[in-house]
Amino acid sequence: MHGWMGKILRIDLTEQSYEIEDLDEDLAKEYIGGRGLAIKILYDEIDPEIDAFDPDNKMIFGTGPLTGTGAVGSSRFVVVTKSPLGNIGNGNAGGAFGPEMKYAGYDMIILEGKSPDPVYLWIEDDKIEFKSAENLWGKTAHETEDQIKSELAEESWKKSGIHVACIGPAGENLVKVAAIIIDKHNAAARGGLGAVMGSKNLKAIAVRGHQSIPLADPKAFKEVVTSLLDKVKDTPFTKNFFANGSSGIQNVYNEVGMLATRNYQTGVFDGIENTDAHLITEKHLVRNRACFSCPMACGGMTHVKEGPFAGRAERPDFETTWVFGADCGCESIQAILKCNNLCNDLGMDTISVGNTIAAAMEMFEKGYITEKDVGFSLKFGDAEAMVKLVEMTAYRKGFGDDVAEGGYHLTNKYGHPELFVGVKKLENPAYDPRACQGIGLNLATAARGACHNKGYTMISEILGDAVKIIPKTDPFATEGKAQLTKDLQDDTCIFDNAGICLFLLVNLWTKEILQQLEPATGAGYTMESMKLIGERTWNLERLFNQKAGLTGKDDTLPKRLLEEPLPEGPAKGLVCKLDEMLPEYYKLRGWDENGVPTDEKLKELGLD
Amino acid sequence: MKEIRIDFEKCTGCRHCETACSLQHFEENNINPALSRIRIYVDMENDLHIPILAGPYTDAKCTSRYATLIGGKEYGKCILCRSACPERDVFFEPGTEVPLKCDLCGEPPDPVCVKWCTSGALTFEEVGEEKEEETA
Repeated sequence: MHGWMGKILRIDLTEQSYEIEDLDEDLAKEYIGGRGLAIKILYDEIDPEIDAFDPDNKMIFGTGPLTGTGAVGSSRFVVVTKSPLGNIGNGNAGGAFGPEMKYAGYDMIILEGKSPDPVYLWIEDDKIEFKSAENLWGKTAHETEDQIKSELAEESWKKSGIHVACIGPAGENLVKVAAIIIDKHNAAARGGLGAVMGSKNLKAIAVRGHQSIPLADPKAFKEVVTSLLDKVKDTPFTKNFFANGSSGIQNVYNEVGMLATRNYQTGVFDGIENTDAHLITEKHLVRNRACFSCPMACGGMTHVKEGPFAGRAERPDFETTWVFGADCGCESIQAILKCNNLCNDLGMDTISVGNTIAAAMEMFEKGYITEKDVGFSLKFGDAEAMVKLVEMTAYRKGFGDDVAEGGYHLTNKYGHPELFVGVKKLENPAYDPRACQGIGLNLATAARGACHNKGYTMISEILGDAVKIIPKTDPFATEGKAQLTKDLQDDTCIFDNAGICLFLLVNLWTKEILQQLEPATGAGYTMESMKLIGERTWNLERLFNQKAGLTGKDDTLPKRLLEEPLPEGPAKGLVCKLDEMLPEYYKLRGWDENGVPTDEKLKELGLD
Repeated sequence: MKEIRIDFEKCTGCRHCETACSLQHFEENNINPALSRIRIYVDMENDLHIPILAGPYTDAKCTSRYATLIGGKEYGKCILCRSACPERDVFFEPGTEVPLKCDLCGEPPDPVCVKWCTSGALTFEEVGEEKEEETA
């Protein structure tokens, strides 16, 4: 096999044993890898109705055939499992853990059972060790990585080559918004993956490898990557990402009136100039940091030298800048950096934590919760309260215990479910679909819940004229959005299955992935066959959700976005007209009017 | 004469140089940073990524231990040394343990690691005598 390593590592945490299995070549080709192959394995091996924390739930860490090859943006791997939210959980992360998994010889790691005591895994090629994590339990992600590296290696160079995926206190405490932290600064964040890892008593996986990824046509691969790098390295988007990270795009979304503000009460943030990405670059950025094989280097280290939020933090991505900025009405860039660092260190998803805190802030301002519930005042824009609550959430302290359950449970507990802005119990990201119709359809239909990264329609609706990858469409129109959403959702599966970071979408698309995938694998992929693989992946996630008990009724948006018009900005007076798009979307998907895939469609996709 | 110049301040740690090098030098089993003659040393404590180019092999442990100062931080224990030596687990081909050394690949030399470096950390430059690096 080329591109793939051809091996799956199956770990039994209960028995503390393992097996190394051959990767089924036909199956790998049918799904490419990553997200697609992982859902296939999970769907075949567990009952989707299972409780996420049941030891019989499995977690799959999956790479794609391009992961670690040096293909442009080839840093990615996925974590797929049954989510504590009740649906499919899949998160995706960069850094260099995924590539190192490949160098250790594995396309996939399947985690089964539950360890009797806290453990971590040490994987060095074919040497697999279960190590006690008693001394690591309670430690933050940063402490955990440092301590593991010290335990495993004395020599600095050897430490430098070890890559760690771990949970922080949040995952241990089964916080529903807990993430898995990769290489200290990246996260497989959404859907409570860290809590599932915590439920298995698995603190971390450390990996180091010395094996080679064989390529089908190395010469052609080298040529295509060289020419793509030449093309990508100097585009305005690469320069902007390099200079300001993904947060550089925040202004664009504010100008079109879709930067969700104060728990989606409006789409325009009046404090935008104080949370602008340029401020981070100018005042706090120390140095850029890239994930594996990425010319865009949107990550970086920042340093706040003084004040209550002093410290070092990863440069926040756009969602993080937004959620602890506009969504919480906070105008302190230093507080945003602090929250980002707390989330990375304690092991939580910034979007879900921040969005839940924003909902709590609205409940507080409306008098639905009081200082007696929270322990302190929790108004929009109160940076200190926000930072405090983030920390309390990871440790389930006081009111943090409510936030730890996520926005859906929090708003329901206090009797105001209408203030939860999320889909399928997963909190919404930055984009207000009242000002950008297509993204509403994507958020409503994505299997893991409100996720923008499953079909980033803004690439057409907002950025279309600049990016020129997908033709520009009118963000206020609903016509054509069903097709646009379906196409982008299927294409995105190709990024996730192959192991390429979706942020590259401003520079390249599936055509360029194919140009690299073919010389890497020699598997005979075409644009048509990839399209089908994308659709197959999407439908299999749908089938998983269906068996887990979700129905077409879950393909909806919060009432606020469907019924309350935006009060100001370019999209003033608009709501998201989901009902104008959803029936057409079902039809295009080959699903019946209840959103159930038809037998014909499943047969066409080989899922019957 | 041209040399590969390293500006570690610009290095983002993407490791494209490592994959490029292993791809260039191995016709089969192509992608493997452990086979690369350039490696990125990651100093996470100080947020530094330091590219090190493989130099000459030595079969003896070194007796002189110069510490290197970068940005006020001392790098001891041979971290920034270019040699493949018995002291350190780097610049040896896994399995065969053959030492690896940069050969300024290409004819005429046009190193592929420099070509794949998009951050500007690696450049291939004419180095005159007057440009000789200062030694501290």
